[in-house]
Amino acid sequence: MAKENLSVWTSISFWRRSAAWVTGFATILLIWLTFDTMGQISMGTDADLQKGITKRVPAPTVINYHIDYKMSEKRGHEVPVIGKKEPFFGKEWSPKEAAALLHLGKLGSQAKNCMNCHTLLGNGAYYAPDLTKAWLDPMWGATMQGMTGKSTKEEAMAEFLMHPEKYPTHARMMPNLKITAEEAKGLVAFLKHMSSIDTNGFPRGFSKTVDQFKAGGTNAH
Amino acid sequence: MLFDKFTDVVPSFFGMLNQGPLTLTIFLHTVIVLPMFWIYFSEKKKLGK
Repeated sequence: MAKENLSVWTSISFWRRSAAWVTGFATILLIWLTFDTMGQISMGTDADLQKGITKRVPAPTVINYHIDYKMSEKRGHEVPVIGKKEPFFGKEWSPKEAAALLHLGKLGSQAKNCMNCHTLLGNGAYYAPDLTKAWLDPMWGATMQGMTGKSTKEEAMAEFLMHPEKYPTHARMMPNLKITAEEAKGLVAFLKHMSSIDTNGFPRGFSKTVDQFKAGGTNAH
Repeated sequence: MLFDKFTDVVPSFFGMLNQGPLTLTIFLHTVIVLPMFWIYFSEKKKLGK
């Protein structure tokens, strides 16, 4: 009998087996990756914070701590460093209160559509400054506290959010979005918590603008 | 340096694969393509019979 169809490339079973292998492998891999991601992005607990366990996303009670942003030589970018306790709006927030405040802030950020102009964790626009690490911006310290006449960073931020039209901080000024005092508190908590999230150094070059600011330049970019 | 220290915050299997010059893409292509050589040769053997 003559030898016919000796090429593997025209053999149906070869393609069938290859396709089954690639599809099967990819399916299992995607399921595995999904669960791996869940572990990476799940929020830590208040107990983790007290024990000093580093989580990519810390518990809402992180608003009770001082948050620093330091260059890590090992990782090649800045990482949030959770420091000592500090009062937030003059008090320490319980896990329940902190979660409720953060939730209010998150809803507020959605209701006021912050992402229409700003970027939060990589989502949004670049018409206005990136808010991912906004809490760590030194501008909220001396400059904004001076402008608003408030004694703390969080109060200065809340005041700015309620009356942005009064404080020219950026080339494109933020409109007054009629944010209430309670919402402003929530938004500041939301921003403080966001700045404590380990984003693998995103947004890149944050320290560069901080240095520029300290040298007398502007953080508006 | 060929092998860097593991630096991820949350250790994971996929994080380990991403250290140094080894990327997830290179790793996955390797593990997907290698068995396909075996599939190819086993099919060739079957056809020759």
